[in-house]
Amino acid sequence: MEQRWANTWRLTINEKQFIEEALRSEIRVDGRRLYDYRRLTIKFGREDGSSEVQLGETHVMAFVTGQLMQPYRDRPNEGTLAIFTEFSPMADPSFEPGRPGEAAIELGRVIDRGLRESRAVDMESLCVVAGKSVWAIRVDLHIIDNGGNLIDAANIAALAALSTFRRPECSVGGDDSQEIIVHDPEVRDPIPLTIHHFPIAVTFAFFHEGNTLVMDPHYKEEAVSGVRMTVTVNSNGDVCAIQKAGGEGIVSGDVMRCLRIASLKASEMTTKIKEAVETYNAEVALKKVKRHPSLIAQKITVPDVEMKEASFQKTKKLNADMENSPNQTSTSLTITKDRDANASIGRPLNWDPYSSSAPAIVSSSTLPELVGTSKESNEDQMMQRDEEYDPSLKNDQIASATGVSSEFHQQNSPPKSLKDAVKPKHKRKKNAERGAR
Amino acid sequence: MDVDTRNMTPTNLVDKIVVPGDVVLDLTKMENQTIKLGSGLRQDCDCVSVMQAGKLRLSKPNKYWVESSQKRYVPSLEDTVLGIVVEHRSDNFLVDIKAPNLAFLPVLAFEGGTRRNIPKFETGTLIYARVVKANGIMNPELSCTDASGKAAEFGQLKNGYMFETSTGLARMLLSSPTCPVLEALGKKISFETAVGLNGRVWVNASSPDDVILVSNAITRSEFLSGTQQRIMAEKLLERLEKS
Repeated sequence: MEQRWANTWRLTINEKQFIEEALRSEIRVDGRRLYDYRRLTIKFGREDGSSEVQLGETHVMAFVTGQLMQPYRDRPNEGTLAIFTEFSPMADPSFEPGRPGEAAIELGRVIDRGLRESRAVDMESLCVVAGKSVWAIRVDLHIIDNGGNLIDAANIAALAALSTFRRPECSVGGDDSQEIIVHDPEVRDPIPLTIHHFPIAVTFAFFHEGNTLVMDPHYKEEAVSGVRMTVTVNSNGDVCAIQKAGGEGIVSGDVMRCLRIASLKASEMTTKIKEAVETYNAEVALKKVKRHPSLIAQKITVPDVEMKEASFQKTKKLNADMENSPNQTSTSLTITKDRDANASIGRPLNWDPYSSSAPAIVSSSTLPELVGTSKESNEDQMMQRDEEYDPSLKNDQIASATGVSSEFHQQNSPPKSLKDAVKPKHKRKKNAERGAR
Repeated sequence: MDVDTRNMTPTNLVDKIVVPGDVVLDLTKMENQTIKLGSGLRQDCDCVSVMQAGKLRLSKPNKYWVESSQKRYVPSLEDTVLGIVVEHRSDNFLVDIKAPNLAFLPVLAFEGGTRRNIPKFETGTLIYARVVKANGIMNPELSCTDASGKAAEFGQLKNGYMFETSTGLARMLLSSPTCPVLEALGKKISFETAVGLNGRVWVNASSPDDVILVSNAITRSEFLSGTQQRIMAEKLLERLEKS
């Protein structure tokens, strides 16, 4: 028992008195004003439908997944939405692993009510075969760090994740037109959910018997106040849910005041979330643009390839017969440099044993030079694409490298790379797993 | 165990960052010397190796220890800490000092403390005390008097505001010469602070504005250099003067 006592967070009398006194002059402990939110950052994960939200110190992650299931009997042509919360013990000393406690269940319920009762997510579009098969959307919320005001942060995370979630397209077909075919994401683009509006949760904490209102309380303020109210509104001014927790009562005038303030904040939040989602979608779209296989191979391979190539060429030099004449003109030198670069980049990944472009067999005198310059040209090409590289490293080489690179690309277009053959397989496997879930 | 040759001379790694496993001293090379090992160091037969990541420190002539910064506190003797009273038992108070165990503060460990004038501390009282007994196994013990039995500023801290920091920041605030951020703030604001080596800081000033400013300045100064701290403090003070 004493061990648990040692590990909980405690509020001192000094803090409690100070926070209340500071609020009398409308100052908050971290320097915010009464209705200021902390800094909000919304990030997205690699998969569709995963988001990470940081509101000040509070850190929440949301994951959205979908599965085909039988619908509820009383709603045969609607999909289902379920919210699960997990309060990780690393978020707060008072969080225990295992069954969700009161606070976890309350958080799940408030967010669920905000999304379901207001019909924010369109359920009817999730129906595939009425009465038999509908999409069941599951939102998992993980609390990673409790800095106060978990409901707001978790709500934003859920909305962001739902906006970026994509479900595979499916159609009804087969012999008896009863079979459901789930299309592979490579074949047909997965479709986003239809979200009609964004219900934003805004939490208030009350002090001094309801006279002072504070928005976005952090954990010390929450502990001092004890009276908390969350209102979920959207930017149209519709009230989606209200939840009041804590001991003292509040007057109806205060409730109306909160609703009015909340609807102003809701439009701000909605624009922030939408902007973040749009930036993310734009990035994803850019990534989807099919790039030239040479560019992809180049970006990844540089250091390993050069090393192997250097040793390979050296051994080649020792073993193979010299076909080219020792005296090379400058033009032929550039050509061999190109082929050299081509071969050195392409080696392990683009290596096609049946391609005609055999590696350049160069005279021994020019070999170390060429290996050196091809290395540099690779790096320069890398630099051009990767802006993080220090441009001061080899500025003088860039000019020479650009000439090389353009010729080099044209040469590399015909041979189909091994990478192209390998990549789609991986993708298919991954998405087949996801679709089947 | 292979001893790294670079660690032959004892003064090589002093004031440098060390990680667990580094061998700091080779005892076969140092004979007839008494060396005191502090926290973070361990003797393995013939060599002294590091157990905790941090900076190796030497206090002449022969005290070595590793200074690290973390959020948890490991009680050690003669540290001054800020504790929160959890419960009042018959002969001692149970006090939380951010250590793995609760600490005991004997009811009589106050200046002029007798059975008749036991202080009344309720749950949540903030106390400035000194660690008098600390080994890894038992609950640590505190005292609100100094070695000679006088009060010497120990005891309950009233009013003000308390916030938590890492142990490294607490040590920096207590370093001498005065920490730059405290100096810069002290030029314009009058305030008092009590810093506990367990990562708790108490600040008190005449107005809540000042208290909030000082607490935020201190929290932000953890990873800044001396000049950066001064600049940051001055910017905050300007903002306060403008509004």
